[in-house]
Amino acid sequence: MTETIAAGTPFAVSVRDVNMVFDGVHAVRDATFDLERGRFLTILGPSGSGKTTLLRMIAGFGKPTSGEVFINGLAVGSVPPHRRSIGMVFQKLALFPHMTAAENVAFPLRMRRFDARTIPDRVQRYLDLVKLGRLGDRRIHELSGGQQQRVAIARALVFEPDLLLLDEPLAALDRKLREEMQLEFRRIQRELDVTTINVTHDQREALVVSDEIIVMDHGRIQQKARPEATYRQPNNAFVANFIGVTNFIEGTVASVDGERIAFERAGFAGRTGNGFRPTAGASARGALRAEQIRIAGGREALGDVDTVVDGTVTDAIFEGERVVYEVAVADLGEATLRVFDHDPVAHSQHDVGSAVALGWNVKDVLVFGD
Amino acid sequence: MDALEAIAAAVWPRSFSAAVPWLMLLPAVVLVGLLVLGLWDMADGSFRTLDTATFLPSDDYSLANYHRAFTERLFFTVASRSLIGSLIVTAITLFLAFPYSYVMVRTRSAALRKFLLIALFLPFFIGQVVRAYGWLIILGSQGMVNEALGLVGVSPIRLLYNYPAVLFGLVQYMLPFAVLMLAPALTAIPEEMESAAGSLGANWVRTFLHVVLPLAKPGFIGAGLVVLTLSLTDFAIPAILGGGSQDFIANAIYDQFFRTSDQGMGATLALLLVAVGSMMVGVVFALFGAGTLAMGRSK
Repeated sequence: MTETIAAGTPFAVSVRDVNMVFDGVHAVRDATFDLERGRFLTILGPSGSGKTTLLRMIAGFGKPTSGEVFINGLAVGSVPPHRRSIGMVFQKLALFPHMTAAENVAFPLRMRRFDARTIPDRVQRYLDLVKLGRLGDRRIHELSGGQQQRVAIARALVFEPDLLLLDEPLAALDRKLREEMQLEFRRIQRELDVTTINVTHDQREALVVSDEIIVMDHGRIQQKARPEATYRQPNNAFVANFIGVTNFIEGTVASVDGERIAFERAGFAGRTGNGFRPTAGASARGALRAEQIRIAGGREALGDVDTVVDGTVTDAIFEGERVVYEVAVADLGEATLRVFDHDPVAHSQHDVGSAVALGWNVKDVLVFGD
Repeated sequence: MDALEAIAAAVWPRSFSAAVPWLMLLPAVVLVGLLVLGLWDMADGSFRTLDTATFLPSDDYSLANYHRAFTERLFFTVASRSLIGSLIVTAITLFLAFPYSYVMVRTRSAALRKFLLIALFLPFFIGQVVRAYGWLIILGSQGMVNEALGLVGVSPIRLLYNYPAVLFGLVQYMLPFAVLMLAPALTAIPEEMESAAGSLGANWVRTFLHVVLPLAKPGFIGAGLVVLTLSLTDFAIPAILGGGSQDFIANAIYDQFFRTSDQGMGATLALLLVAVGSMMVGVVFALFGAGTLAMGRSK
């Protein structure tokens, strides 16, 4: 096995063919990726997808069954966590309850034998960075959930680690605070330019904070791409389904013309997703985002779209900034499509049971085989 | 159901419901009340000296017994032996109990955890006296240890009827109590804390010193108090493994009550033991808090 990748590698983290098997469960399969310095990567996946296991191997809390993790080009397989230069924010934060906020932040400096005279200044600097400047003397249980998050971030960053790891620390927060902290993570990461790997099952968080997203399922990396590409060009049906609200329309392929794949159902077509090239007669599914579908009382009101179907509203949910419709479409084998109408004030609202027309463009339908 | 409820309502009307918590306390109140009655009786006895002519307690009250307890060499020896002994036993027991509890709580192997638990509970089924006799068989001059030593040409060593033998027996007796008191405190420390200390740069020694030990403090206090009070007041181990030469306070009290029949002196010693024990517990509470015995309340 190679001990180094290359001197002067631009990659803060490289993961090569990493597998993790414990208790007969293959938690991570053949994970390989590179992460450039200073970037914010989110590993996104449902619970049990192996994302936390992968993160813990990077931190050094689990040794890969096979494969190797490189940090700054050096293999770290035999380096224990306390000798890696990694700051980690844990799921339950793991702040030390017998210390004050400032003592918690000073802890890594003391353990890493920083010059004792510089410690108070540095602790104050990082408390200021996370906007806790005057709360250093508080005990952990005297701080609010959001303040505790900030202490945990300061503690993970104060010793200027090469890498910051976030193990779903926001999962337990209520939505408003979680969204606030997401932006804080982003701000601090940009300010310090520290390479960051974040683990979450929250697709919105992944889209908001990341430079890059890795989507995992069943221990495998499904896709690694920039947030917008992950959303617009999902690699497969799993990614399309996990991020965003996606309708899947199943059918039999009638003809393939370059990128365009036509189904046997009247007028339904899409373009190939991820290079999928079926032959006529094969079964396939078209993925169509709920916000790509236009809805109107009649076909003529839809405007310029190249696919139009008729349907009946089976449910209408008012969510404030949008209305979510469930529409049964007879022409698509009684498929129920979910449709977002993002301008419910300007548009007319459709009651349950009313007949509507749906329209979309062929380019927005991605066809997958799985 | 309605009939049952009607009967219940007749026996215990709803308006009595405020009294329910007190009713639940009743057994405890009765028990403690009886104890107080007994103590009161002993307090009365402690002020009466033994009339050596009639072997009956005197009718008049005096502080003579207390004077004897504080001045006679024998009582001082016994008291200091018990106090120092219980402190040493507490220190050694906690030192040994910690790694045992830690492995039991943290091991990933369910089989090892079960083994450690069974090994812990087995001595409870045997009883203190039988166990002490077991030590006689093992440590006696013709016991297993000396026989083994004889095989390598070492002449028999006197392992019994001395102070170390008593302390050894007490540590062995106290270990399960200490482990049982420590284990919940260690369970309450999330494993993530130790991982966090590791990622922040602490090796296992410093993780132990700066994180595990301080967070396990309540367990140490609880376990320490239990071990201290139990070994301070123990009777069987000093009696059997000390062979009469290593009496603790409880043995002295026994002698006063049942050998010399000086109930007044026995009562005096017993009350002093209660006082000393309570004071030690009080000092620990004042210095360190009540630990796990605080039942999760900080005050």
